[in-house]
Amino acid sequence: MDLKPAAHVLLIEDNPGDADLIRLRLVEASADLEVACVSRLSSGLQSLAEKTPAVVLLDLNLPDSHGADTFRTVLKKAPTVPIVVLSGLEDETLATKAVHQGVQDYLVKGNFDSKQLARAIRYAIERQALLMSLDMSRKQQLQFKDEFLSHVSHELRTPLSSIHQFVTILLDGLAGEIPAEQREHLGTVLGSANQLLTMIDDLLEATRAESGKLRVEVRCIAIGDVLQQAVNMLQVTATEKHISLELKVEAGIPLVSADPERVIQILINLIDNALKFTPPGGAVIVRASLMVKDSDHVCISVSDTGRGVSPESKHLIFERLYQDPKSSDSSRKGLGLGLYIVQELVKLHGGRIWVESQIGRGSAFSFTLPLFSLSKLLAPIVTPSGTLPDALVLVTVEVTPKPRNGLPQWNNVRQQCMDILRNCVNPDKDIVLPALSGDSGSEVFMVVASADEHGANILLKRISGQFERCFDLQSRVSVRIFADRLASCGPDTEPPMAQLEQQLASAVTRLTSASAVQPAIAKREFEMILSGLAAKPETVNSKSIVTAEPIKSPAPTKRGTNGAAQNTDR
Amino acid sequence: MEQPKILIVDDDPELRRGLNLRLRANHYDTAYATDGVSAMAMAQKEKPDLIILDIGLPAGDGYVVLDRLQENATLSCIPVIVLTARDPQYNKDRIMRAGATAFFQKPADNFELLGAIRSVLNPRWPGTAAAAPS
Repeated sequence: MDLKPAAHVLLIEDNPGDADLIRLRLVEASADLEVACVSRLSSGLQSLAEKTPAVVLLDLNLPDSHGADTFRTVLKKAPTVPIVVLSGLEDETLATKAVHQGVQDYLVKGNFDSKQLARAIRYAIERQALLMSLDMSRKQQLQFKDEFLSHVSHELRTPLSSIHQFVTILLDGLAGEIPAEQREHLGTVLGSANQLLTMIDDLLEATRAESGKLRVEVRCIAIGDVLQQAVNMLQVTATEKHISLELKVEAGIPLVSADPERVIQILINLIDNALKFTPPGGAVIVRASLMVKDSDHVCISVSDTGRGVSPESKHLIFERLYQDPKSSDSSRKGLGLGLYIVQELVKLHGGRIWVESQIGRGSAFSFTLPLFSLSKLLAPIVTPSGTLPDALVLVTVEVTPKPRNGLPQWNNVRQQCMDILRNCVNPDKDIVLPALSGDSGSEVFMVVASADEHGANILLKRISGQFERCFDLQSRVSVRIFADRLASCGPDTEPPMAQLEQQLASAVTRLTSASAVQPAIAKREFEMILSGLAAKPETVNSKSIVTAEPIKSPAPTKRGTNGAAQNTDR
Repeated sequence: MEQPKILIVDDDPELRRGLNLRLRANHYDTAYATDGVSAMAMAQKEKPDLIILDIGLPAGDGYVVLDRLQENATLSCIPVIVLTARDPQYNKDRIMRAGATAFFQKPADNFELLGAIRSVLNPRWPGTAAAAPS
């Protein structure tokens, strides 16, 4: 008796005659095959979800799907299962396309006997297994590389820490006054130590980008503020090099969905590069503007009057380890990872990056970031008929720091609150909105929950229970929780999203005007909400939003001397 | 006014010495420990106002120290700033969950570290430099 379980074959074929023939061929070829046959793509996908077959035999023209879309859908649903297309059509172009996109074989019905079919299936399974194991070992290697670099970075940082500590002790005069010349030399030591640190960080970041481990925590940000911070951090360097560094932000840009620290990291890299390649007397301009062609994104560009990028370098410049071969710059070269990391970070935000340049006249690096969209955020709770659920509740959690504990690690508190809310809600029914924060006041978190009064009460209890159990938060903050019923958005209220936005906006004003949020901040944020609404009053896809956050001290610089200009050397 | 006392826990003698110099220059009183066990003993004995803690330590690493501090009724209220060369991506969340008040990666910017120390020690409001006699 054969103890090996029969190989499970999923045949997706709508023509009963073809299906029977293929089944017959399969039985002729091998006894230990168990064939399941379905006639629609949808039932095929369902069957894939229930049981993973050894191979999928796929007809392309089905009642509910045609051509290349058919194999694309199956590939997406089950990327690890080998697919053999059985087509009625001899189409070399389509066959090549299929194989390119990950299909294992493309056979034309009627052109094969049972032996050939069995062999095609066997080879498809073998090839797929090989691919999977290659992919697995690649992932393992990346993981190993990441862990290795993380470890190396730790080991390198310890002696570097010591260099940093004692050089800054000397520079700050803690070991007695030092003459100007020695101060200058020590400054060079510190600069070089900082360069080393940047390289270590870049190596780690690049490895993470490769293994898909770069983390981006998207928030709702006023892009002008973030750009201003980045520009401020490099203003001193620019002045030292006699280059003017300017920021121009177009009026009326709605809020942006991005990780503020990452945006600053991107900007610092681009501005730093621009300053490096621009001669004294030149100018570097950072611009933020709305795009005519793409109303979902904001465009940010950094332009310089440097020597420009040659046309042949334009595509290579974002590659890892790329170094400009003609670089005659006296400043030391980096690892060539900066722009690669920048590109990966932009991609993670759902944006794109490109460079325009004229040799000798300068370059402009531009990238896009998505504008905040309430409709996108609420998409998971929109019903199949395109409307919002009937009963919607806005749950607001206001977190205020207890003054006696100061405000250290406010970022962490925010993260913890977010985690609590995300744990409490049902992701299919409720949406956690980005937070609204005052300068030194409270932080306001909001959840749009599709729940009636009873459901809202349960949710409130769950949230307050979680906050009560979180002792370390309790000692640092006080928490107030409210629920507001949002008027129902039935199928005939058009457009539901715009209406919801207005309700949210008014709920926020009511709350912020009555709470401890600094009025100036709340007002400014609210103006932004209104300008967002005004920008596109008639579309459902309005860019307006409910919250914004002035970013506090994200400056991720860890170097520099005590109180001296710290941010000049990145 | 009495100077706030900071307990430095680090097994690297140079880093200990450097941090000690820096803190004393900023008018803080210091004590130090070189491993997990002595960290607990010193915390008991000195009752510091703040602990600056490394993670990679012999005889009970920083995580163990954080746990032990949390378990102790009197010591659990001492704020802890973790200062480590370890990768924040793999450690920061865990450290903050273990009860640390702040996380800094080595080498930390002195300005930021001293700012954090001030705001942790200053019971009034963050940003005010009342306890910053530098």
